[in-house]
Amino acid sequence: MSALSGTAPLLRATVRHDGRSFAPWVLIATFLSASSVLVYPWVFPDEQDRTGLATAIGANPALGIIFGPAFDISTTDGFNAWRSLALGGFLTALGAIFAVTKATRGQEDSGQAELLASGVLGRGSRLLAGVGLALIGSLAVGVVSGVVTGLCGGGWEASMLLAATFTASGWMFAAVAAITAQLGSDARTASSLAVGTLAVLFLLRGFAYSMDAPQWTIWANPLGWMTETRPANGDHWWPLLYAVVFTVVALAIAFALQARRDFGQGAIAPRPGPAHGRIRSTLRLALRLNTGQIITWLIAFAGLGVVFGYFTMSIHDILGKDSAVSAILAAGATTPDELTSAFLVTILSLVGIIASIPGVQFMLKVRSEEMEDRVEPVLVGAIRRQRYYVSNVLLALALPAISVLLAGLVIAALASTADIGVEFGDAFAQAVATVPAVWTVVAVSVAVIGIRPQVSLAAWIGVLASFVLTLLGPTFKLWDWVLAISPFWHIPNVTDSSADRTGLGWISLVTLFFLVVGFAGFRRRDIAV
Amino acid sequence: MSADTVIDVQGLTKSFGRFRALNGLDLQVEKGQVHGFLGPNGAGKSTTIRVLLGLLRADGGSTKVLGGDPWRDVVDLHRRLAYVPGDVSLWPGMTGGEAIDLLGSLRGGLDEKRRDELIERFELDPTKRGRQYSKGNRQKVAIVAALASDVELFILDEPTSGLDPLMENVFQEVIGEVKQRGASVLLSSHILAEAESLADRLSIIRDGRIVETGTLADLRGHVRTSIRATLERVPARAALADLHDVHLDGTRLTATADAGKIGDAMTQLAPFGLAALTVEPPSLESLFLRMYEPDADAAATP
Repeated sequence: MSALSGTAPLLRATVRHDGRSFAPWVLIATFLSASSVLVYPWVFPDEQDRTGLATAIGANPALGIIFGPAFDISTTDGFNAWRSLALGGFLTALGAIFAVTKATRGQEDSGQAELLASGVLGRGSRLLAGVGLALIGSLAVGVVSGVVTGLCGGGWEASMLLAATFTASGWMFAAVAAITAQLGSDARTASSLAVGTLAVLFLLRGFAYSMDAPQWTIWANPLGWMTETRPANGDHWWPLLYAVVFTVVALAIAFALQARRDFGQGAIAPRPGPAHGRIRSTLRLALRLNTGQIITWLIAFAGLGVVFGYFTMSIHDILGKDSAVSAILAAGATTPDELTSAFLVTILSLVGIIASIPGVQFMLKVRSEEMEDRVEPVLVGAIRRQRYYVSNVLLALALPAISVLLAGLVIAALASTADIGVEFGDAFAQAVATVPAVWTVVAVSVAVIGIRPQVSLAAWIGVLASFVLTLLGPTFKLWDWVLAISPFWHIPNVTDSSADRTGLGWISLVTLFFLVVGFAGFRRRDIAV
Repeated sequence: MSADTVIDVQGLTKSFGRFRALNGLDLQVEKGQVHGFLGPNGAGKSTTIRVLLGLLRADGGSTKVLGGDPWRDVVDLHRRLAYVPGDVSLWPGMTGGEAIDLLGSLRGGLDEKRRDELIERFELDPTKRGRQYSKGNRQKVAIVAALASDVELFILDEPTSGLDPLMENVFQEVIGEVKQRGASVLLSSHILAEAESLADRLSIIRDGRIVETGTLADLRGHVRTSIRATLERVPARAALADLHDVHLDGTRLTATADAGKIGDAMTQLAPFGLAALTVEPPSLESLFLRMYEPDADAAATP
């Protein structure tokens, strides 16, 4: 029996049962790419509008961190390449990571894998089936989004190349996830490792382009290869070869590691622990269960603060390089200080949106603990349900707030040392003003888990809406009342004394409403159903 | 309800969507007794228990636990009861000892001496992490956490399904001690020997309602005793009025008789000369097989 026998039937079954888990990623990537092509000629019909857009993007380098460099956005395909390349690849990579992790570590955690492994199945077959699903799924993302974009009016070569970068990103991170699935000893650790790698490379690429870093920093980064294909601006296909080589090498490493480890174990063996416990309350329990996550996120936000802080310090140079921005500055239409404070608002909103992710994760953890029968024994203690829920909600609100303040503190400290007209107090106050919006987003998940946990994916709605409306909304020229759905739209610029601050009050009322709904729901509903 | 009833359930109903899990269930558990709660898979045992614990909200009927309402008086009641779930799932990174202390202290503290004694008797290693335990060892953690507390009522949902026979013995001893202390136990189980040796009363649940309740002797009364005999002469069937299901193979006879009519049956058999005779009271197994059978309704409802 070879190491891979039994793969074919397993892969067929995996695709049939878990294939649909790729559907959202296909839809989102296709929507992202096709919508650019449809919307651009309509929203930006003439040269003047397009120059205006280029200026606006140049004036807010925070956008560059997410979207990458705008090589040429005066054409439909160029605009699409700028808007979709980084995000589409990021999302496809996320889908690939989750697919691989679920088919490997996820199955081992839940015991399904044991059933499978005892059948006629080679050692590497389960991993190969998981990787196969991710490769096929990523390919589907590319084919569907490329064809749909072309049919919607995109240039075929540029659209297909752009779509190919989605697929290539998915392939590379399927391979990365195959490695992390051998390193982490459970599904959560394995996917955190892979997503962390993706996030770091993603941000590094954004910075490398925005800061005019040396060329090697771009070529050392697999995601940099994707940007260097330059769809609609040269159409280089050859960097995709690097991606294929990367995928093959990483997969070879993953299979070598897989052949060495024991079933259900990671690289690090567990040691005996204390025979007596000191945890006496539900809050301590919530802290204990999330310790690893809390530490990881705090380190991540300190790092994010350093990176964004340095970025802010060089804001004047970055703005000065952009000829259109220099022109409006010279004309006196705006001042560098105004642009800088607008930049700070955006960058802290971005920090806030990222910070709401751990909050939502903590609330989803409440649900997964419930489904794994670990909440029942706790609630059978002399504990009110509300107290159990409050412990978790407190944590889900506190960690994002602390993360934003931590990153804000670092950004403020760094920015105030550079001669760019940013006061430490103002910058930190801006971070404080961001916190209520983060709480609104997290409160959505508190309501969902409290009242309808069966649709736990809905807990992400707040994060998704904030991200789409805050970052993509302006490129659609959406109306204010639509943009106002995102709580981050209501954050005032604290240096602008005429800015309307009542918005923070309104979104806090919304937060309160969601919290009340969540608590009422959790008190009344059946547990673990 | 009398002061001596610790669990009193009347006409309990509970549905999940369109599926009716409990269908007018009645259950009474007397103070100081071990009450066996038996039934096939999916009959509604765990659902009943989770209503008693206030984890599920009843749709209809009345439920009293220790005189209180399990949904409203959660904190008060939970201080006075302990629970062992059927599927024990532990926190993967937490040791068994930590889990025992956490669950104990959430209930309001446990007896340290008893905790250590139980760990020793169940041969549990409390320094292992949750993910390293086997099913049986996870169950031991839950059993120690529950039994180390000094409460009035224990609700145990198939607590021993993963234990080996040796540990099963220890468990039975410990439940005996708990009973001597005056505590009451609701014990859901699949292990008939366990129910037979521990339970003062039994309730059998099927399709969301109790089909039979009483002492073991009561339940046995409903099922006929089996008789096997080798006779010296072939009997006339007409002479065997009190024997049922008579099957004759030459002089070898198998038949059944009602529990109260065994004497009469013997009198009728004696004239044909008894060369060998086995009279077997119904085993709990045959009792259950009858109760569990899908078409047992006619037999079960007198």
